[in-house]
Amino acid sequence: MIYLDNAATTYPKPDSVRNAMALALRRYGANPGRAGHDMSIAAAEEVYRCRTAAANFFHAPGPECVAFTLNCTHAVNYVLKGVLKPGDHVVISCLEHNAVVRPLHTLAAAGVEVTEAKVVPCDNDATVDAFRQAIRDNTRLIVCTHASNVWGIRLPVERIAALAHEYRIPIAVDCAQSAGVLPINLADSGIDYLCVAGHKGLYGPMGTGMLVTTRGSELATVIEGGTGTNSAQAEQPEAMPERLESGTQNMPGIAGLRAGIEFVRKRGTDRIFQHEIELTRYLYRRLSGMKQIRLYTAEPNPRYFAPVLSFNVGDQPSEVVGRKLNERGIAVRAGLHCAPTAHRFCGTLEQGAVRVCPSVFTVRGEMDQLVRALASMH
Amino acid sequence: MGKPLILVGSITNAIKSRNILLQAGIRSEVERAPGSYQNGGCGYCVYVPDHSDEAEQILLQYGVRVNGREERGNIV
Repeated sequence: MIYLDNAATTYPKPDSVRNAMALALRRYGANPGRAGHDMSIAAAEEVYRCRTAAANFFHAPGPECVAFTLNCTHAVNYVLKGVLKPGDHVVISCLEHNAVVRPLHTLAAAGVEVTEAKVVPCDNDATVDAFRQAIRDNTRLIVCTHASNVWGIRLPVERIAALAHEYRIPIAVDCAQSAGVLPINLADSGIDYLCVAGHKGLYGPMGTGMLVTTRGSELATVIEGGTGTNSAQAEQPEAMPERLESGTQNMPGIAGLRAGIEFVRKRGTDRIFQHEIELTRYLYRRLSGMKQIRLYTAEPNPRYFAPVLSFNVGDQPSEVVGRKLNERGIAVRAGLHCAPTAHRFCGTLEQGAVRVCPSVFTVRGEMDQLVRALASMH
Repeated sequence: MGKPLILVGSITNAIKSRNILLQAGIRSEVERAPGSYQNGGCGYCVYVPDHSDEAEQILLQYGVRVNGREERGNIV
């Protein structure tokens, strides 16, 4: 199989990730952060190593700034529902995933106002201006994706963060598609809440994600429960990370995530990005020479795009193309990619699109096979 | 010398504290905090057999929240 659905979750995972998970189940089989016996402490040490690796990777001040979640969606929910109250206003981009749109739809019913700022691809000035114009007196949060999970369009998050702070507004960034692929520096970027998927560009297992923030203690909680601390008190602890980590953690998953972060760190985010964006650009150029292929963006300029490319084959429904490619042994993602707003932006709400995303393991020959398969679909 | 157990709340803080103290040349161990109900419930501490007062000061300098001090096995 040629696997090009890495924007949904990367596959295969590095050997080191599989080994770390197996080792964790064998050696650290106790509940971390709950008991005082040796295996529980050993399990907690492994979780702490991942916390430290993540904090270093994203340049957070310390491991306590890293709260483990099930995925990026949960991290986004923790922020949106932890910050916004009835009467508050939030600014989002027009490219958001349902991880942002759906919680805000729920919050809107409770009186939270939402404004969509229009992203102008390859024009960061215009994009930042759109965010500026969307800010109101009661804006309490800006939320945006770092890179569209459909079109790969990058947002100038550092500039949007600077804008947000000019108005004393915190900013949350959905880094589901960018973590491990684009450089992210919590300290320098001004991002207040960094929402991360562990199972995509960080090569961890599914069921892992993180909220990286220095402001976790300020968040109202969505989930409360046992943390292994302050058990005599009914109130949820304020201190991070336990404020956001109720219940038993996904210890084998976290061990795998640590190995994934190490894998990316050793390879280097820059090298990974160069490899993947070159493959994406190569595919774009091949597809742009095919009459029946519809492309919706400019050729992915590394400055403005992440390595994600979506297209259509004439008027064929994207799901049909996805099925035909599967029959030819090629795994892609068709449909709306849980991001109808992003599809509305490019006019593909009805047809959807076929999405291709390489990983560090993808080679050019696989792109050639994809092109040959598409060429045979008349 | 003060009480050797420095109560720091979570396991994250306890491991962080141990690592900070190790960098400062002070040996310590992560342990479950004793007398959990009296200390607000479950939690963790670092056992610092020597130089525990200095250790507490170092942790405070690093921004670790210290919730108290205990003798080892002082509370049943």
